[in-house]
Amino acid sequence: MSTRGAIATGTFIARVPGVAVALVLLIAAFSLANPNFATLSNLQNILIQSTILLLLALPMTLIIMTEGLDLSMGAVLTLASIALAVTVIATGSTALGLAAALCVGLGFGLLNGALVAALDIPPFIATLGTLGIAQGLSLVATDGQSVVGIPRGLQQVYGGTFAGVPIPILIGIVAFAAVWLLLYRTRFGGYIFALGGNREALKLAGVGDRAVLIATYAVGGAMAGFAALLMTARMNSAHPTAGIGLEFDAIAAVAVGGTSFERGNGWLTGTLLGVLVVGVLRNGLNLMAVPSSAQVAGIGALVIAALLIDGLRSRP
Amino acid sequence: MSAVTQAAPARRGLSRESVQFAWRVAAALAVCIALSLLSDAFLTTNNLLNVLRQTALLFLMASGLTLVILTAGLDLSVGANIGLSACLAAIIIKSTGSPWLGVATGVGCGAAVGLLNGVLVTALRVPAFVATYGMMWLILGATYFYMGGETVHGFPPSFRQFGSGYFLGVPIPIYMMLLFLMLGTLFAQRTVWGQQIYAIGANPVAARLSGIPVERRLVLVYVVSGAMAGLASLILLARVNSAEADIGEHFTLPAIAAVVIGGTSLFGGSGTIVGTLIGALILTLVVNGMNLLQINASWQPLVTGVIILFAVWFDIRARRSGN
Amino acid sequence: MKYLSVASVLAVVAIASPAFADGETIAVFTKNQTNPYFQNVRVGTEAAAKALNVKVLQYIPTKPDSIPEQMSQVEDVIIKKPNAIVFVPVDYKALVPGVEKMNAANIPVVNFIDRIAGGQTVSFIGADDYSIAITSARHLLKAMNGTGNVVIIEGVKGSLTNVDRMRGFNDALKEFSNVKLLASQPGNYQRLQALQVMENLMQSFPKIDGVLAANDAMAVGAIEALEGANRKAHIIGINGTKEAVDLIKAGKMLASGDYNGFVQGCLAMTVAVRHLRGQPVPKEVLLKPVVVDKTNYQPYETPVEQRACPKLEDLTN
Repeated sequence: MSTRGAIATGTFIARVPGVAVALVLLIAAFSLANPNFATLSNLQNILIQSTILLLLALPMTLIIMTEGLDLSMGAVLTLASIALAVTVIATGSTALGLAAALCVGLGFGLLNGALVAALDIPPFIATLGTLGIAQGLSLVATDGQSVVGIPRGLQQVYGGTFAGVPIPILIGIVAFAAVWLLLYRTRFGGYIFALGGNREALKLAGVGDRAVLIATYAVGGAMAGFAALLMTARMNSAHPTAGIGLEFDAIAAVAVGGTSFERGNGWLTGTLLGVLVVGVLRNGLNLMAVPSSAQVAGIGALVIAALLIDGLRSRP
Repeated sequence: MSAVTQAAPARRGLSRESVQFAWRVAAALAVCIALSLLSDAFLTTNNLLNVLRQTALLFLMASGLTLVILTAGLDLSVGANIGLSACLAAIIIKSTGSPWLGVATGVGCGAAVGLLNGVLVTALRVPAFVATYGMMWLILGATYFYMGGETVHGFPPSFRQFGSGYFLGVPIPIYMMLLFLMLGTLFAQRTVWGQQIYAIGANPVAARLSGIPVERRLVLVYVVSGAMAGLASLILLARVNSAEADIGEHFTLPAIAAVVIGGTSLFGGSGTIVGTLIGALILTLVVNGMNLLQINASWQPLVTGVIILFAVWFDIRARRSGN
Repeated sequence: MKYLSVASVLAVVAIASPAFADGETIAVFTKNQTNPYFQNVRVGTEAAAKALNVKVLQYIPTKPDSIPEQMSQVEDVIIKKPNAIVFVPVDYKALVPGVEKMNAANIPVVNFIDRIAGGQTVSFIGADDYSIAITSARHLLKAMNGTGNVVIIEGVKGSLTNVDRMRGFNDALKEFSNVKLLASQPGNYQRLQALQVMENLMQSFPKIDGVLAANDAMAVGAIEALEGANRKAHIIGINGTKEAVDLIKAGKMLASGDYNGFVQGCLAMTVAVRHLRGQPVPKEVLLKPVVVDKTNYQPYETPVEQRACPKLEDLTN
């Protein structure tokens, strides 16, 4: 190989992000280890299972880019799911149920944004507080019981297909496209980048940085509300502890995907890859019937390894 | 926050912090007064000792964590660390019959985990949030594997004293709480290393320029945080008389909450150990009060969440008007 | 003569060699890897599997009791197509769609421990929480001579076992009119929580004569609290764990309702395999309530790993 070719290849390899390498390696390894893995039905399975996490991780990327965090997403998702279930049972209308879920999500998103932007409360704390509030409301509203009795039609949202493609995958694609356009093709997206790296520029441009911040958290809340539709459809019920911990998975997926907590640079495709890496890992380990304790350790190892690779890579 | 305002070391902030501390003590007292009016059982010696003993456990878990947060870091693996340390200590005590060997194992294990965290964060430059999150899973997985779904129970009375023993009518964990309150405050406020930790949190760049060995201090705070988690796990073990893999999982967020309610800022550079104690006390009082008043336990997360928000908002306001 | 000996040799060979129907794969789902009760269940399934010559795959959510995770594991396992599934749902209502998916994939399901609220199952193997609770509670109330003060420490609100156990406790209390129920507080099946709840209850009530705890872990927590305050009371728990047996032996705990996880695991696996091999199986097996106390604890001292699975016929009456 010529010198230039070698350098070009080397540069390409150096630029390929850790998460993409991890994804390819995992898919290759699991395909070899288990014949069931690389089948169409299983790959569809992974994509469908990853959708809810994707819907949380996409806005989480935006929030992390503003040097923030949203710990309440799982609890808000749960509360929205309960609101949706109760509304659908009471009115028989999925549309009204979705509206209720979106209201809950948006409400908490605005609350988070207000706490962070207007009251200057650190995002970790603000969303830890709203996590407690959302969690508490879920428990009190249901007294710990599942909400059942949802008309069967709702299940189609998770289990049905449209033009041969499972609906959750379609929702995932649309969500990714929407957030991608929002971040990379609108002025609002530019403001988000500015919030992370260069707040002064925003102020000079006369844009209210507080408004942008609030809007970012609001988007997060709204998407959690939308994800509630998928979660409720999946279980045909709502349960006050169903969404616990999902926000940490979302944050891990964003971090594994390469978005930095400090520098305010975000990579949305990286988040998508990060979500897929988590989904592939869990699915592959399940197919191989790896003991649960090893699965737990494996997830930790994956998160640390992905960040190590990126950390080592970014050394001068 | 610009470098200039953050560079002001903790010294000038001390008086403001004293005011914040005074407010917190007042808040805790207010809760106590309210509870004693609402419930006959609150103001009894036994109940107060119970509250203090439960506070002691939470405080010990959160005390080392305070140092970590002072450097603008975070440790999400506290709960998992407690589980691993408790389980290892439990097994050592059972197999060797020696409580002291168990204590050494527990604290040692906690410190080792802390060391790993510190190395990940400093040498390998993984952000603290994600590094400790990954470690949490790793440790938990290892503990699950090791314990195989079983519990280890039944420890010698000499060991049980740690958690359920009394001395001069006061539960032993309370003495430990006071001891580490003193040690922690002395370390943070009166030693060079302590001041350096504040400086690192306030402005890491300036700290490095002024010659502070930032990486070594960061590793130190994670090791201390881990060791304290290990110690707390022993008291938990002694109280509950059995170890299972996820015995610590419920404590991670309350420990962080205690530090934050106590007035330590997540941005680093300001906060006190005694503040963490008050934070732990307030959290424990809320749960105790709800138990005594027989309020549905489902309300607890909500009340705790509101208190967290209120405490921090209060601090922010004070900080802003102070400037 | 020659034919007889050849026939007998063939017969011996036929009996001695493994049946061709063996080697099936059975997937077992349990709720978490932290509660020792489920560890006993898993050991039970493995013991039966070994005796019947089948392969077992254990599925446990990495986050304890996580509904979405168990759902995902169900979806993944269906891809793997095991011969049968032995299943306890993390939540008996939320996992109904999961069982329906198993049905749609034509994988037979044996439900055990918590009765699923929908979907088709081959059989249900369980202990009746209600009858265990009421029998254990009666045991305690009799030991109290039918008078005195009692507190209840509940499990997780909304869980099926808790609903039935509370009904059992409360119905037993109705039979003893001279016993006063002072309070009923949740301990969430957690040891430390029950300990602290008990401590707080002891502040409000200076005289507590009996404690009805919905599981052994909480009973142990209550015992620790009482010992710490130098108070005494009769205590019963439910599960029959090794820890409880040790405490019963030492006289610190009155009794524990035997919610025999090991046996449930054995039986569920046995039923699943028999169904696969075309043998008839009962639609339901409900274990009779047994209260373990100072008089009958000895068999429970053997560690589960060393126990043998009981025969199905002995228990289906």
